[in-house]
Amino acid sequence: MAIDPTLHTAALAALEAGLNRALDLSPQSKPGLARLEDCVFALHCTAPTLNIYLHPSAQGIRLAGTHHGTVTTSIKGEASDFTELATSVDPTATLINGGLALEGDSAPLIALQQVLATLDMDWEAPLVATLGDVVGHQLAQTLRRAFSWGKQASTGLTRQLEEFVHEEARLSPPRLEAEDFYRDVQELGLRVDRLQARAERLRQRLQNSRS
Amino acid sequence: MSDKETTHFGYKEVDKDAKAGMVADVFHSVAARYDLMNDLMSGGIHRIWKRFTIEISGVRKNNAVLDIAGGTGDLAARFAELVGPEGRVVLADINDSMLQVGRDKLLDQGRQGNIEFVQADAQFLPFPDDSFDCVTIAFGLRNVTDINLALGSMLRVLKPGGRLLVLEFSKPQSALLSKAYDTYSFRVLPVMGRLVTNDSESYQYLAESIRKHPDQATLQSMMEDAGFCQCEYHNMTGGVVALHRGVKA
Repeated sequence: MAIDPTLHTAALAALEAGLNRALDLSPQSKPGLARLEDCVFALHCTAPTLNIYLHPSAQGIRLAGTHHGTVTTSIKGEASDFTELATSVDPTATLINGGLALEGDSAPLIALQQVLATLDMDWEAPLVATLGDVVGHQLAQTLRRAFSWGKQASTGLTRQLEEFVHEEARLSPPRLEAEDFYRDVQELGLRVDRLQARAERLRQRLQNSRS
Repeated sequence: MSDKETTHFGYKEVDKDAKAGMVADVFHSVAARYDLMNDLMSGGIHRIWKRFTIEISGVRKNNAVLDIAGGTGDLAARFAELVGPEGRVVLADINDSMLQVGRDKLLDQGRQGNIEFVQADAQFLPFPDDSFDCVTIAFGLRNVTDINLALGSMLRVLKPGGRLLVLEFSKPQSALLSKAYDTYSFRVLPVMGRLVTNDSESYQYLAESIRKHPDQATLQSMMEDAGFCQCEYHNMTGGVVALHRGVKA
């Protein structure tokens, strides 16, 4: 059943408002978006079915459900694939190895992903505007410290967990070792395919010589 | 028996020449509180309908856009951002009170340079042929005396390949919604109009004029008869509002 355009458009308007509010609080993101001014990104989500077009500009990002004209980059995949790309540390690797199908120029898409992934929101201005200079500043400082501590704690915990899993418990091989292994498997797969093709050719030749 | 041609004004039959003046009186009366009433009547949903219209319009940088019956300038403001400083947006309205409210609002928002304000009748648009990439008319077509004449005039001013978008109240697609909508239109709207603008008659006219407006399929065939191609429509909010789109070949 098709979604009523009112619902679809309202959802996009809410998402756009939230996104642009976050971008307003992160002024260093705006120059990155301004460089992508003439680009149009098409996101075709297959599960759930949803099409979103992103139009970045120096003022923020405009979201639309339809677009008439050419797009710079079009990506297709499931919602989980898009989440993986949005949060990825290495978007290039995610694009190559992930479940997303990409058409068009990938460089502007990676630039957009980096702008969104490195949002650094400064809450001080809205807090000061609402609560006044002294309380707003102190609350902003407390929030900054809390976020900073949270980030450090999360990074430290991830690193320690990684070390434990790879080095101490030996539950999983290190990332480089795993990638090396996958490369070897891929290479082996290719060689097997070639061998199979050669065997097939020989079989055909034998059959022809008998007849 | 009178030889004069008649048309409808809400549920009343009036002289064709008199309708424009009667519609003008309605809008002179509500102009000052038009935006507030729109928000109250639709619960703010009219902004979503207009946003969808902008999406479908496909307007881009450097385009020329004509917003007929543009009223308080909701569409024109957004189009002015999209076309950029090299583009052109014309906000046209037959009613000088509405045009004045729209012009003041947009100038107060700091929008100028690429917007023009023109008092014009949709039936006799004062622009050269092939002037615009996109023409829009939102909640205005049902107030026009001769819809066919207006559609012909819009076709004339569009460039080949240009799009016409008609956003207008239409026919709800379910019987239940239709009943609820009728109750709301004829019982609630006039009371709301009386409380906010001290004018219940204008809102009675609004409800009646919506019922007299052609339904989705009829308006589509009228656009095709006027000479538009690739005509289509999108129902919104269960058909309470429909967005028609046609292209000039």
